Amino acid sequence: MDQPPTIASRRDLLKALGALGVSSGLPTSSTLAATGGDKRILVVVELSGANDGLNTLVPYTDDAYYRLRPNIGLRADKVRKIDDRHGFNPGMLGFERLYKDGKMAIVHGCGYPQQSLSHFQSMSYWHTAVPNGGERFGWLGRVADAIDPQLTPNFLVNIDERQSLAVQSEHHVPVVFDDPERFARKGLLQSRLLLDSPAVTDGANVSRKYLDKVAASAREASQLVRAAWDNYKTPVDYGLRSLDLNKVAAMINAGLSSQLFYVSFRHNAFDTHVQQNEQHGRLLSYASDAITGFMKDMDRIGRAKDVTMLVFSEFGRRVAENTSLGTDHGTANHMYVIGKPVKGGHYGEPPSLTNLDADGNLKFTTDFRRVYASVIEGWLQHDSKVLLGGDFKSFSCFG
Amino acid sequence: MVNLNSRLWSWGRSEWVLVSSRYMKTLSKLAFWAVVAASGLLAQAAPLAWQDSLEPLPPSEWNRDRAAHLLERAGFGGTPAELAQLTAMSPKQAVHSLVDYHATKNPQPPFEDSGAFDPGLDPFAPSRPAATDLAKASGEALGVKSKPAGNRKLQQVADRYLYWKRVTKLETERLAYWWANRMLTTKHPLQEKMTLFWHGHFATGDEKVQDYRKMLKQNELLREKATGNFRDLLIAVSQDPAMLAYLDAGMNLKGAPNENFAREIMELFTMGVGNYTEADIREAARAFTGWNYKEMAFVVNPQQHDDGIKTVLGKSGTFDGVQVIDIILAQAVTSEYIADKIYRGFVREGMSPAMRMKLGKLLRDKQYEIAPFLETVFESRDFYSDASVGTHIKSPVELTISTYRKLGLTDVPGIPDFNALTESMGQKLFNPPNVAGWTSGRSWITPGLLLVRGNFVYDTVFPPVDFIAPDRVAEDRFGIVSVAEKLAMGLDVTTATKPDNKEITSMSMQNDRNEDFNTRLASYHAWRKAIEKVKAIPRMPARIDLSQMVRDAGCVNAQQAVDHLLMRFLSVPVDALTRRKIGALFEYDLGTSDLKHADSYMEDALRNVLHVILSLPAYQLG
Repeated sequence: MDQPPTIASRRDLLKALGALGVSSGLPTSSTLAATGGDKRILVVVELSGANDGLNTLVPYTDDAYYRLRPNIGLRADKVRKIDDRHGFNPGMLGFERLYKDGKMAIVHGCGYPQQSLSHFQSMSYWHTAVPNGGERFGWLGRVADAIDPQLTPNFLVNIDERQSLAVQSEHHVPVVFDDPERFARKGLLQSRLLLDSPAVTDGANVSRKYLDKVAASAREASQLVRAAWDNYKTPVDYGLRSLDLNKVAAMINAGLSSQLFYVSFRHNAFDTHVQQNEQHGRLLSYASDAITGFMKDMDRIGRAKDVTMLVFSEFGRRVAENTSLGTDHGTANHMYVIGKPVKGGHYGEPPSLTNLDADGNLKFTTDFRRVYASVIEGWLQHDSKVLLGGDFKSFSCFG
Repeated sequence: MVNLNSRLWSWGRSEWVLVSSRYMKTLSKLAFWAVVAASGLLAQAAPLAWQDSLEPLPPSEWNRDRAAHLLERAGFGGTPAELAQLTAMSPKQAVHSLVDYHATKNPQPPFEDSGAFDPGLDPFAPSRPAATDLAKASGEALGVKSKPAGNRKLQQVADRYLYWKRVTKLETERLAYWWANRMLTTKHPLQEKMTLFWHGHFATGDEKVQDYRKMLKQNELLREKATGNFRDLLIAVSQDPAMLAYLDAGMNLKGAPNENFAREIMELFTMGVGNYTEADIREAARAFTGWNYKEMAFVVNPQQHDDGIKTVLGKSGTFDGVQVIDIILAQAVTSEYIADKIYRGFVREGMSPAMRMKLGKLLRDKQYEIAPFLETVFESRDFYSDASVGTHIKSPVELTISTYRKLGLTDVPGIPDFNALTESMGQKLFNPPNVAGWTSGRSWITPGLLLVRGNFVYDTVFPPVDFIAPDRVAEDRFGIVSVAEKLAMGLDVTTATKPDNKEITSMSMQNDRNEDFNTRLASYHAWRKAIEKVKAIPRMPARIDLSQMVRDAGCVNAQQAVDHLLMRFLSVPVDALTRRKIGALFEYDLGTSDLKHADSYMEDALRNVLHVILSLPAYQLG
């Protein structure tokens, strides 16, 4: 056994580590450089728990709405009317403005055949864009692989406690974190070089290779994300819940090379079975405030022209209210495509409130994958047929 | 020609074998030499032909590394002493000692109930409005009468509702501690590992069940039948109150069947999607109508049971639930689905379809007896093949418990909090994310979660000095603290409970502008009453003595100590460069490479080194 020379000082340690081939894992100025430029950015917002679409965008002239919802139906004089047919929930001032400014495409009647009424299953269908299938990768993960074959670091970002299936990718390692302040490795000063040094990947162990890849991403992304967060100050108000959109703004502000973001209004928040109106109104105002704040912030930093947002929920709710002043699981729902590049207006056909299916649910009029296709083709400018496994007709909702 | 990497690695191991001979005084000389001899094989790859073979491993191939692999998978890893014992056996004996655990004594304390339940709480109200509405209509709910006169007549009912919600949450966290301590100290590691596996398979969560007593009962059931017959287990779980509550079995009635229960049984518990039709589910649901629970027991309500003829998976008859379960178990796909899931949990992922069928046949041949199935698996060459060894990404609970075990701890530390830790890594016991349980393997790891895993080690070796016990101190976001403070200053309830705009009101409190009670007040009352009843979780940090560990291992210089820790904690070898770098770090921290000199002060430096080692990506593998 050969004895290494005695290591008495920090300098000796650095020397020893250097002699043994350690290079600093800290990002160099080239990796820190803003590489984002003015690339097109897509932010997907999931409203988990099945948002009640009919009390979000109220068909205030439809008698059937008030007949089926005698207690929880929102009165016509209370809603924020955007035209002679629809009005937003009273809490959604921001959405009303975004629509009236022509920055919001409302897509009606989104769903899919043989609608699952299970949150878990239906959400996985939306995540993969493969209803009733067992696709391993998420639709956004597949988009990342397709439009960024060079595997740009930090291209795909998911802010949440666990990684969403939507960003599960064959080739990209999504940057997944929750709190930027805690997206940091603890460790004493003298250990940093070891903790932050690149992993050695060889051998046939695929799990180990995967871990090394994630470790590399964690090392690089955590420093960038924290720096982005530390350097981000905004006068814009995101409301009581930011939906993590302020974190997205910080990353865009820092010019990171991230182009696809995925955030969620988490924990099945919109599952409003009981006494829903006050609670639902509050949830919607949080979502509306956060989204509007984010769009304002993009304007402020001059990136509004580069950012499009897609908002969805795994299904809507039953047309008729239940006996607990709430609503049960339903089917078709609106999707929203929001941003300066968007050609605002109504798309798709609002489903009839009288011609319902056997369970009293809306019949969907728009396959949700048409909206995915619209964003992939119209905004990210990539063919959607292979990605979505079918020819889903785009809406031309971009200017 | 042996490369540098494997030379250094096997140096570390043979070193260990020599020094650890102190552990082996009780073992025969023969066993000792078997270990030494085996150490020569350590760096060698397993033959490629082992992959997919269920033939038993030849006894001549048994060594310390393979024993470590077995203990890692059939349990939560172990100490050098435990490994030495296993290594001294034949592979067949070693596997048998782990699988046939009933022969081994395993004294474990029962769960110490805080006694916060009383019969008025059963049946518990499905929601706060349900409780207060009932009290308003009938004058009583949850065992509490409403006040006949005065303000806030239903306040105590609202208090009572939130009290139980708080109690069951806190008591479930104690339950998790109890279980974690079992996993840590058990002499039946496979039993606990299997219980954990079934908990994920038959996912049930207290957030829905709202009764820790049912969660405990289910946990004991899973443990009792952990390696028994799958049919017994499946029937018992299908009739388990926690599961029946979790899947809303009470809503499955004759004439109005609810498909949820039948769907989960087919989709998640037995067959997997694509092997049955929607019609099969509808018909099976009819067979389960009337199944329910009363208090802590399974009941069948004959009036609600549909005893007509059903057709399930091609068979027709006046089936009840158990008969449907037998029809499901007769399907070959069921055995393949279960065998595949066990294999993925305990051995590896990415099996070929042929291997999957072979495993299904094995389980059928064993008549769904889990223990003999596992025995064949753990003895098999495939289990010791390169595709299996060191490729399993540990779940958060596996990571936490195996770390504590390898540290030689005898209690799960109270600081940091076990539940907060495992939840932050994505796995909170008794609260899986949904009916499908936890998705395992790579989905445990994200960049953020990888850092959280490293930080878990940091907080274990250097416990936080600002720790606040989450089972004693109310979270600020519920506004409980501010309500308590304002009331103590003599403010009226309305003023004291007025939300300051900054607080985020919790979901359960949102519809409560009812004059009959005040939910923010109830929330404060509930917390106060709950922590008075529910016992506190002991809050000691880990008692770690790494100095003694390396002393016992006979390490005399810094690099030897590092090599010992690497071998003790890691399941896969580390490259020579990393190994040397960590050695250099340790020596720098000590100011010498001589452990004899550093003996009186080496603990902190050892802990720092351990943090570095356990932060290596490779440490996530078992």
